[in-house]
Amino acid sequence: MDALNQLPLNIAATIRSLFGDSHSIWADLTMNVINIILVIVLIVLAALILILLERKIAGWTSQRPGPNRLGPHGWFQTIADALKLLGKEDVTPAGADKFIFKIAPMILFALPMMTLAVIPYGKGMSPIDLDLGIVYFLAISAVSTLSLLMAGWSSNNKYSMLGGMRAVAQMISYEIPLIFSLLGVVMITQTFSLSKIVEAQSTVPFVVLQPLAFVIYLIAGIAEVNRAPFDLVEADQEVVAGPFTEYTGLRWGLFFLGEYGNMTAVAALTTTVFLGGWQGPAILPGYAWFFLKVGIIIFFQMWVRWTFPRIRIDHLMGLAWKVLLPLSILNILLTGLGIYIYDLVLRIGG
Amino acid sequence: MFGKGLFTGLGITLKRMLQPNITEFYPEEMPKLPPRTRSSMGLDPDKCISCNMCANACPNKVISLTSEKGESNKKVLKTYQMNVGRCLFCGLCTEACPTGALHVTQQFENAIYEADELKWDMIQRARKSGGKEGQA
Repeated sequence: MDALNQLPLNIAATIRSLFGDSHSIWADLTMNVINIILVIVLIVLAALILILLERKIAGWTSQRPGPNRLGPHGWFQTIADALKLLGKEDVTPAGADKFIFKIAPMILFALPMMTLAVIPYGKGMSPIDLDLGIVYFLAISAVSTLSLLMAGWSSNNKYSMLGGMRAVAQMISYEIPLIFSLLGVVMITQTFSLSKIVEAQSTVPFVVLQPLAFVIYLIAGIAEVNRAPFDLVEADQEVVAGPFTEYTGLRWGLFFLGEYGNMTAVAALTTTVFLGGWQGPAILPGYAWFFLKVGIIIFFQMWVRWTFPRIRIDHLMGLAWKVLLPLSILNILLTGLGIYIYDLVLRIGG
Repeated sequence: MFGKGLFTGLGITLKRMLQPNITEFYPEEMPKLPPRTRSSMGLDPDKCISCNMCANACPNKVISLTSEKGESNKKVLKTYQMNVGRCLFCGLCTEACPTGALHVTQQFENAIYEADELKWDMIQRARKSGGKEGQA
């Protein structure tokens, strides 16, 4: 099991040993390129699997089998859909701001690539180990608001514009409880580094110490990635498809890929911060534990999506500002008190 | 408790997820039709006594049959035409039939390409199916 656990690190060491000096700039550059490719492969694979899983779960909740024509149990359906998207005409609407229209999907797709690069997938297995991991992650994922606003503005379409406006209102509001809910964990661990936060959870995952923060993060996380019941941004019945209305073919596919990538990123951060990341009983290698936990979080997100109807927009804002924000501040207060009392007890006892 | 409904909803969808699918894979497997489905007509020409009661009972004048006098002065069915383009599959003809020769079947794949194919020659159809059509 230990060999399997160390397998990725050993492969990396082998690749490095191909160079004369295993820590020369060329070895580092090669490893970085390999890491980037691995992250892109992870996003594409995740999107392929998750889109199928989403449709399967959508089916199961209404006792249908879901996609079932192509391949065994319809497993190749997403691949066929992706190929279909490749063959679609690339339409840019008249009067669109062409440059912004074209780069908006690329930006949304670039974000999960950047955020998933700092996640520790196993012990010593973060592609880039940043000291300010959480800050970096939150800063990058906040840019997705900009991408959706760019798409909405540049499409020259009232529904796209409305969707973009909603994206800004919703995502900026939910950013605050999201960040505040992570503060409790940072206060306990005294670090922003994701790998150190995972190591601090070797005895107890922080979901036990910070249950309120975990719930707030789950809700705000679903709202951040614009999934039902918080999918006001692309509410089909109200604003056609929001910012995505005018997009076709591969550009629309990039948006889709970015959405599922962002969903994976949010689930990965939940796993890292609250569920102990790669920590787990030694029956499975660390990275297997990590992906298992990410899978459970994603399943929960999908389960929620196919259970609840869409929330009304004033209720959405009310939930963020009147419920989640006070609760997250309360959580910070309680965490601070808890740390203070723990210190006091240690001092009296010691 | 506030928010209890959310958990009830999640419980219901989880239960549905674990229950077996209710989808019927129609082209590969025949669907389970309700027992009283009426979707096609079948005739047993040997039982028919050419009494014309089915044609009289029909509200849309779908049925037209001809007969000739056979041995011992009995009527023998010669042709039996149904213009199913007008047929409602109401089943009044089968209720009128004194010998049970005419019956409703659950065969529902009745799509055709030409309008002429709507005129069913029931004797020919009975011979073709060989009495295999399920009786309702």
